[in-house]
Amino acid sequence: MYGIADLDNCYVSCERVFRPDLKGVPVVVLSNNDGCVVARSNEAKAMGVKEGTPYFQLEQQFPNNKIAVFSSNYELYGELTGRVVSIIRSETPAYFRYSIDECFMYLDGIELDQLQQWGERLHKRVKREVGMPISIGLAPTKTLAKIASKLAKKFEAYRHCCMIDTDYKREKALEWCPIEDVWGIGRRYAARLQALGCKTALDFAKLHESWVQVTFNNINIVRTWRELNGIDAVPNEQLAKKKSICTSRSFNGMVSDINGLKTHVANYAARCAEKLRQQNTVATIVGVFLNTNRFREDLAQYWNYQETRLLTPSASTIAITKAASDVLEQIYRPGYMYKKAGVIVMGIGPDSPIQQDLFDTNAEQFQKMKRLDEVVDRINRLHGSETVVLGSQQYTKKDGKGKADVFANAIKHDFRSKNPTTRWSDIIKLK
Amino acid sequence: MGNIKISKGDFSTKLELLHAGVKAGFPSPAEDYIHETLDFNRDYIRHPEASFYGDVEGDSMKDAGIFNGDRVIIDRAVEPRNGSIIVAFWNGEFTMKYLDLTHKAEGYIELRPANPDYPVFKVEAGDNFEVWGTVIHLIRTFESI
Repeated sequence: MYGIADLDNCYVSCERVFRPDLKGVPVVVLSNNDGCVVARSNEAKAMGVKEGTPYFQLEQQFPNNKIAVFSSNYELYGELTGRVVSIIRSETPAYFRYSIDECFMYLDGIELDQLQQWGERLHKRVKREVGMPISIGLAPTKTLAKIASKLAKKFEAYRHCCMIDTDYKREKALEWCPIEDVWGIGRRYAARLQALGCKTALDFAKLHESWVQVTFNNINIVRTWRELNGIDAVPNEQLAKKKSICTSRSFNGMVSDINGLKTHVANYAARCAEKLRQQNTVATIVGVFLNTNRFREDLAQYWNYQETRLLTPSASTIAITKAASDVLEQIYRPGYMYKKAGVIVMGIGPDSPIQQDLFDTNAEQFQKMKRLDEVVDRINRLHGSETVVLGSQQYTKKDGKGKADVFANAIKHDFRSKNPTTRWSDIIKLK
Repeated sequence: MGNIKISKGDFSTKLELLHAGVKAGFPSPAEDYIHETLDFNRDYIRHPEASFYGDVEGDSMKDAGIFNGDRVIIDRAVEPRNGSIIVAFWNGEFTMKYLDLTHKAEGYIELRPANPDYPVFKVEAGDNFEVWGTVIHLIRTFESI
C-alpha cells in the first residue's frame, strides 16, 4: 500500500502554530514581495478569496471582513514541515518527500487491518507534537492515494485518514473526483478529456486502455489510467524527476530599466542552477519570461518568453546566468513597467559525464567551473545562502551607493512573522 | 519498488572519530572504554520534533524557582498531568502556569501562578483555551557565553 500525507493549507497552518488566536479566523499568506495570495485558510476559502488574488485587491473585494495577512516566511515553513517529515520518517518503513507539503509513504511493512488506525494515529501525533493538521490517503497506487487524501481533507468522518482498499470504495472515490483534480492530469489534458465527456475520474477510468493509448499517445496519461484502475504504474523514480525548474518572482514595485531586470534575472538563474546541482542534474534549455502588471490596465502591456539552448548541458551558475541574461536582452523592450520575470530551465538530465560540444569551451575549463560551483555551494550552505554570489546578482544598495545588496534584502515582506524555531531572538515570550 | 533503493535510518548522529586518522605509536589504553560523549541534545530533548523554546517574562512563577529572563524547553509530546508546569495560550498571549486539574470533573480547570500576587485563572469548557505544551527543562545562564 501507498500513503500520502498532505499538510492542510500548509503555510497558513505553519503561521497558526505560534498564533493560536488565528484558529477559525480567515488567514492568507502572500507570495514573495507580497504580490498575491498563495495560501488560504478554510475560512478564507469559504469567503471566496481566490488563489492568486493580488494583495491590493483583497481589501477592495472584501471590505467588511477581517483577514489576517502574512508575507511568506519560508524559513519558518521549511523548519516546521521538516519536523513533520521527521515524524513521518519515524513512523513509516520508507517515505519520499514530494514537495514542501506532500510526502509519499511506502507502507508494505504494516498490516492491512492496522493501517486505518495507524493513519489516524499519525495525524494525531503530528497535530499534537508540531501543531499542524495533515490529511492521509491510503491506497494501492499513488494516484488513488492522492484522491483518498483529498477525501480525508474534505470529509470529517474519515478522521483525517481515508483508505481505498476495496473496489467499491475505489469507484465511489473516482466518481466523486473531478477529472481536473486527478494527480498527473494537467490542465490541457483535463480540458481535452472534458470535451470527450469525461467529467470525473471514474468516467476516465472506464475508458478502454487501448483507446486511451491511441488517443493520447502519452505514457504518463496511460500510467494515470492504470493507477486509477488500481494497477501500480507510476515508477518511484518518476517522482524525483522534475521536467523543468522555474524560479520567478513579482518585483517589489515595478522595474523598467534593463539593468534592474538583469539583476533580478541573474538571481533567478542562479537559484535554478543551484536547484539543478542539488538534484545532480544539468539542463540544456534556459528560458526567460518577462511581463508587465496585468492588473494595471492603465499601463501599456507587454509580455514575452524566449529560450536558448546551451551548447553543453550545464548546472553551472555562470553558464546559466549568462544564458538567461542573453535571452533577457532579446525580449526586453524599453518603455514598459515590468512587474514579473522568471527563469525556467528545461531538458533536464542526469549530471553524468557530459558529451562536450565541439564548439564549446574545453574540458579543463568545464571541470574548473564545476569545482567553483561546488565550493560556492558549500560556503553558502555553511554560512547562509547568498554568502557568495555573482557580481551580476548584486542589487544597488538602498542608499544608492554601490552594488552590494543581496536578493533576500531586495524582497518586500511587510507582514512577515517571527522565526521562533530558528532564531533565539524570536522564541515565544511567556507571561 | 523500481530502481530506487530506499534506506531508512537516522543519519544525523555524528560518526565516532576516534578511529579516524593515522595510527602511530602505541595504541591508546582507553580504546576499549570508549563511550559516547554526553550530549544535551541527545539526552535532554526526547522529542526534537515536538520541542520548542520560550523566554520567561515577569515573576508569576517565582516561587517555583522560575524567574524573569529564564529560558524554558517546552515539549508538546509530553501529556501534561495535574501539577505540570504548562504553556497555555490564554487571553491572546502565551502564559506559563501550573496546571490544576482538581476540578476537571466539575467542568473547569485552573491555571495557578507560583506567586501570591497573581490571580488564579479559571478556565471553563468552551473557553478559547489550549494547552500549548509542557515545560520540561529550565535554562538559566550565569556566565554569559
